[in-house]
Amino acid sequence: MFVDSFRKGQTWGLDNYIATFTNPVFRVALLRTVKVGAIVTVLALLLSYPASIALVRSQRKSFYMSLIIFPLMINAVARTYAWLVIMGRYGLVNRLLASLGLSPLQILYTEPAIVIGLLQLFLPFSILSIVSALENMPPDVEEAARSLGANGWRAFLHVVFPLTREGMIFGGSIVFTGCITAYVTPAMLGGPRVLTLSTLLYSRVMTLFRWEEGTVIAMVMLVLVFFVHRTLRGRARAGVTV
Amino acid sequence: MKTSWFCRIILFTVLVFLVGPSFILFVASLSEKTLSFPPQGFTFKWYTKAFSIRMFKDAFVTSLLIALTSTFTGVLFGIPASYAISRFPFRKKELLKLAFLSPAVVPHLVIGYAILRFLIARLNIPVLFGLYLGHTLIVFPYIIRVTVASLSNLDSSIDEAAISLGAPYRTVLLRIILPNIRTGVLAAFILGFVTSFNNVPVSLFLTGPGVTVLPLQMMSYVEYYYDPTVAALSSVLVTFAIGVVQAAERTLGLSKYF
Repeated sequence: MFVDSFRKGQTWGLDNYIATFTNPVFRVALLRTVKVGAIVTVLALLLSYPASIALVRSQRKSFYMSLIIFPLMINAVARTYAWLVIMGRYGLVNRLLASLGLSPLQILYTEPAIVIGLLQLFLPFSILSIVSALENMPPDVEEAARSLGANGWRAFLHVVFPLTREGMIFGGSIVFTGCITAYVTPAMLGGPRVLTLSTLLYSRVMTLFRWEEGTVIAMVMLVLVFFVHRTLRGRARAGVTV
Repeated sequence: MKTSWFCRIILFTVLVFLVGPSFILFVASLSEKTLSFPPQGFTFKWYTKAFSIRMFKDAFVTSLLIALTSTFTGVLFGIPASYAISRFPFRKKELLKLAFLSPAVVPHLVIGYAILRFLIARLNIPVLFGLYLGHTLIVFPYIIRVTVASLSNLDSSIDEAAISLGAPYRTVLLRIILPNIRTGVLAAFILGFVTSFNNVPVSLFLTGPGVTVLPLQMMSYVEYYYDPTVAALSSVLVTFAIGVVQAAERTLGLSKYF
């Protein structure tokens, strides 16, 4: 595929890349994909960390755990479809707004809709990796820090947080790469106007049959994912030795 | 140690956020006329409709067939591969590991696209076979990860003892290793099946005329109709998922394999 991306008919070169990258539709989709991915990743980590702390210390841990993994067993279409019921023109949110006498909101087919959908889709992954990081931490380090005089917040900031950094980076990279390659959510909640890389790839190939452009988009996705994996994994490993 | 209220509130919010939409979807599936929440009226007719629509039945059978065959193939090749990865020191080991685990890194959408572009379009492979191939590829990493994990829990001196007593590898694998890692194999099978059964991005490019899988069929139905049939179907899938999770988490501890 890498080789093929440089071919156009019988000639070889960077033509396909230049044609794709100068296309404003592609540039908007690329920027949107990265932006949405970054927002979802940050939100997922901010929510997962406190939730995981509460989860690990909870007495009903296994029940909560099964609540967190059961969404992973359902296909993304079923999970995303629920958001149509909630965010649609006559959905739950707009009905509530109407009953309060407010005007309806256009939530569906916007970027925030995609962010919400993706966040729900990928939250379990970041929670699971932070939970496992918290559990792999030696159990008494936090108590040791406290007994040496650190208050709760300091013990967390200087002991617990650095020890679970790798889990956060790992979870974050799963969420981010999952977001930038997700198809179902942008297709169902973004519609045909709010395109991301994946929906753009699909429409270029399956409705317009522009294979050259499709291959370039696929290569861009592949490079993005590889790049994220390499840098983040490298940093995670460095974090352990420090 | 006491957990702060802040953390607990966040946990509660997250759980509602994860589970709530499925609940709302279930309630909406009982609605009489159009898809709405709160529902209007009360009926189970969308459930009977979901089960009687021919295209859902066909797609379900295809999904089931693909998920079973690809997971079975994955397990068949995955167990010996895991055994080799975890037990033998050899030079190309990292390469082998990379080859088996790379579908976890390469975006599924790209795998689907590549199979369509370079296998189906060029070599005229039948659609169903392309689907099977793509799904086999994506279930591998899960199966390898789970079986390698359960192999590393198994003391290697057990199989070394069998080998030193003259048992051929085939016997060792079938009679020593397999019985000892059977929960791991079961977990691998469940995980592979779920992965394949729910997959959209790979199937997206690999479904052809008359051949489609359940998630994609649901998606295209939603594009044309705004009735609660898909909500009903989703609720059925959710019920199954709850059952699988309950059973698997109790007996196998499935959450540690994700």
